[in-house]
Amino acid sequence: MMSKSTMLSGLGFALTATTALAGDPVTYQLDWLPGGDKAPIYVCVDQGFCADAGLDVTIASGRGSSDAISRLAAGSSDIGSADIGALMAAKAQEGVAVTAVMSVFNKGPHAFYTVKDSGFDSVADVKGKTVATSPFTSSNVYLPLVLEDVGLTEADFELTKADAGALGPMLMTGQVDGIVAWMTDLSRYTGQGRDAGKEIIALPWSAAGLELYSASLVANDAFLAERPDVAKRFVAAFKKSVEFCQTNPEDAAQSVVNMVPELAKDDVLGSLNDTLGLIFNEVTEADGLGVFEPGRLAATWTRVSQAQGLDEAAQVPESFVTRDFQPGGEG
Amino acid sequence: MSLSMPDFSQPESTKGKRPDLRRILAAPGVAAILTILGTVALWELAARTLNIPSYLLPAPSSIFSTFPSIGAERWAGHVWATLRVALLGFGLAIAIAIPLAIALVRSPALNRTLYPLLVIVQSTPVVAIAPIIIVVLGAGDAPRIVITTLICFFPMVVSTATGLAATPPELIELSRSLRAPGFREITQIRLPFAVPYIFSALKISVTLAVIGAVVAEFCASDAGVGYFIQFSTSMFKLPQAWAGLFVLAAMSLALFQAVSWAQKLLFPWSLPRKR
Amino acid sequence: MEIPAAIRFDRLGQVFETGSGRVEALRNVSFEVARHEFLAVLGPSGCGKSTLLRMIAGLLEPTSGAVEVFGRRVTGPREDIGIVFQKPTLLPWATIEDNVVFPVRHKRGRVGSHDRDRAQELLRMVGLEGFGKRLPDELSGGMQQRVGIARALHMDPDILLMDEPFSALDALTREEMGFDLLRIFGERPKTVVFITHSVSEAALLADRVLVMTGRPGSVLTELPVPVARPRGRETIKDPAVTELAAHLRDLLLQRDAA
Repeated sequence: MMSKSTMLSGLGFALTATTALAGDPVTYQLDWLPGGDKAPIYVCVDQGFCADAGLDVTIASGRGSSDAISRLAAGSSDIGSADIGALMAAKAQEGVAVTAVMSVFNKGPHAFYTVKDSGFDSVADVKGKTVATSPFTSSNVYLPLVLEDVGLTEADFELTKADAGALGPMLMTGQVDGIVAWMTDLSRYTGQGRDAGKEIIALPWSAAGLELYSASLVANDAFLAERPDVAKRFVAAFKKSVEFCQTNPEDAAQSVVNMVPELAKDDVLGSLNDTLGLIFNEVTEADGLGVFEPGRLAATWTRVSQAQGLDEAAQVPESFVTRDFQPGGEG
Repeated sequence: MSLSMPDFSQPESTKGKRPDLRRILAAPGVAAILTILGTVALWELAARTLNIPSYLLPAPSSIFSTFPSIGAERWAGHVWATLRVALLGFGLAIAIAIPLAIALVRSPALNRTLYPLLVIVQSTPVVAIAPIIIVVLGAGDAPRIVITTLICFFPMVVSTATGLAATPPELIELSRSLRAPGFREITQIRLPFAVPYIFSALKISVTLAVIGAVVAEFCASDAGVGYFIQFSTSMFKLPQAWAGLFVLAAMSLALFQAVSWAQKLLFPWSLPRKR
Repeated sequence: MEIPAAIRFDRLGQVFETGSGRVEALRNVSFEVARHEFLAVLGPSGCGKSTLLRMIAGLLEPTSGAVEVFGRRVTGPREDIGIVFQKPTLLPWATIEDNVVFPVRHKRGRVGSHDRDRAQELLRMVGLEGFGKRLPDELSGGMQQRVGIARALHMDPDILLMDEPFSALDALTREEMGFDLLRIFGERPKTVVFITHSVSEAALLADRVLVMTGRPGSVLTELPVPVARPRGRETIKDPAVTELAAHLRDLLLQRDAA
């Protein structure tokens, strides 16, 4: 099983050809490249939760939430992960036939990373600093909101764009005072900082009041309508995998490495641990795992519509999600 | 990174009396290999003595140590994924470019109407429309092949058309005076005369095909050397990304050489004569 | 019934429309070439000599007047005409033999053993026996031009058009080629129109020399060569030939000075 999945993902093009598992075929769309923050879907396949649910899952990597949503909308993938803010914007603007079925991150992963004791110790300190961000991250959308919350505008600091891979080195070499990156990369950046003799800290925007749902499980509407049973089984298996990641992070990281040997286990584990805080926290304790709590969902839409300049009243927040496919859901 | 260009001025024959150092150095490839080895050694030395952080410029030793840790099977998978797309895209480009060039040379009307269109297509950055192509053509190799083809077909059209038009006019008059069928003017005169032009375009295009495949992998893929580099960069595994770059460079060089060999083997007369 | 001339130009005129305006290349050109006659055409550069050949071959339509070949007006390319160009323009990828049979392959798509036998015979005739399997760039310029002549003769045309065929060769080779032509056409007579810049070449080879004026090209005069055939190496020293050459040179120099 393990060696088979190893080989299959290595010969990525052959993935679609596999019929060995003979379950219901499901194509899972990542919103980025494989990594520890994407551990649940690898756990689902490698630990056999997907197969136990009668599912034969193929994983396709993506290049950002918008890319993932367009591929889900085009039907080349069935279900996958994407930022619910990006989904809300895409539905409001383009009416894409994709709907969120389960929340995964109930906090935004967005953060500033800075060097400790450099005078950039809170989000408000960004005033007068130079900050780098990557061109396509969804964080850019929320940046004006978090600035507004601390009484600043984009005119109060200098923002430069650079490739995601260049952000770390730019921070380490002092070319910029801070970078915009996700909390899921905390251990990677701190590790990189250690190598460079710098102590890196993260300033999560949620700490500045940006409370919203983020990465979610989203699905093609036709998939949900035509194969509701498969969708339900998938959501249940996925949820089980998320819980497995929390209880057995070591094994979860191993599952990722089994399927993607290009990754080092320590890196995966670090990223997974950084990610778990966005999935399991006080919000999860109050509402439960995977839940879209109507109030927080509405608040998320308020934030997204503000950030994107959309008409908030034109959409009902509930129209972005369906709760019918979660275990114990209606329908 | 030092990628030495293939030596075009290489003396083809080294007929001499006794082997000496100068002749060994002049042998095909030796100078190139020595240059590469020297650069790598200098690089390693610099990385160690100057203490350059690995996220800026990893030492060659740390780059090469990533090769075994990935494993031959994985490498083969990535190389094959990129090679397959590059070669299919390259093949499709040839299949489109040569008939198109023939049409352009045969028909002045097409030349006036189609050529500007081709220039517009060429000046559109494929990188910018690649995501659209991927959404339209969906998963699988098809969008990547199309992107590769778009990137590498234009030099072939231009060069082939130039070659077809550069045929000695006397032979075209001979063909006309014989009242031979028009297609034979293409197959027996123009195309063979265009062979040197076509091959110089093929050499450029085959390396463009690798670039095209990588661009496509940056936009969408789950395998391939370009994907591997992007993936490694996003994981901050810079030495691993560099290893991927080396593999890409080696692939480009190998394909370039393969085209040169194909020309030598199939059309020896089309090469500049050694005297 | 009168036997028609092999080639007849009747008040022919040619005007080219170029990017920079109209260029009158030929004006009121009339002359005849008899069957098996060797006509040399002399004239300053740009007097439209090559244009004359293209009209005989049917590759170019005259603006006014007409060209007749064997009594029939030329309206398109005809097969009974062979052309030898200024440069040999052989196919570099094909062997010498394949180059000689090329017109057959190009016209019919295939080559029979009879065609190859004929190529061998022609190569023997032009002094290239045993070179059939070589490639063109293994041969000297003079040898390549002999291949060009063999190629032009392969379909056994009635008329052979030669457009300054030796102008790219060195003086000695050029003389040799002239004697070879005399021998070849001694063996099998052809109607030849031979364009040249060389007065001595014209006087040595031709039955008649047509001298043309500069642009627009027209016929200045026609002079017979008063030397009997067969001719050979000694012909070049024949007073009649040297005298004619001197006269031709004077004619051309006068034109240039005018």
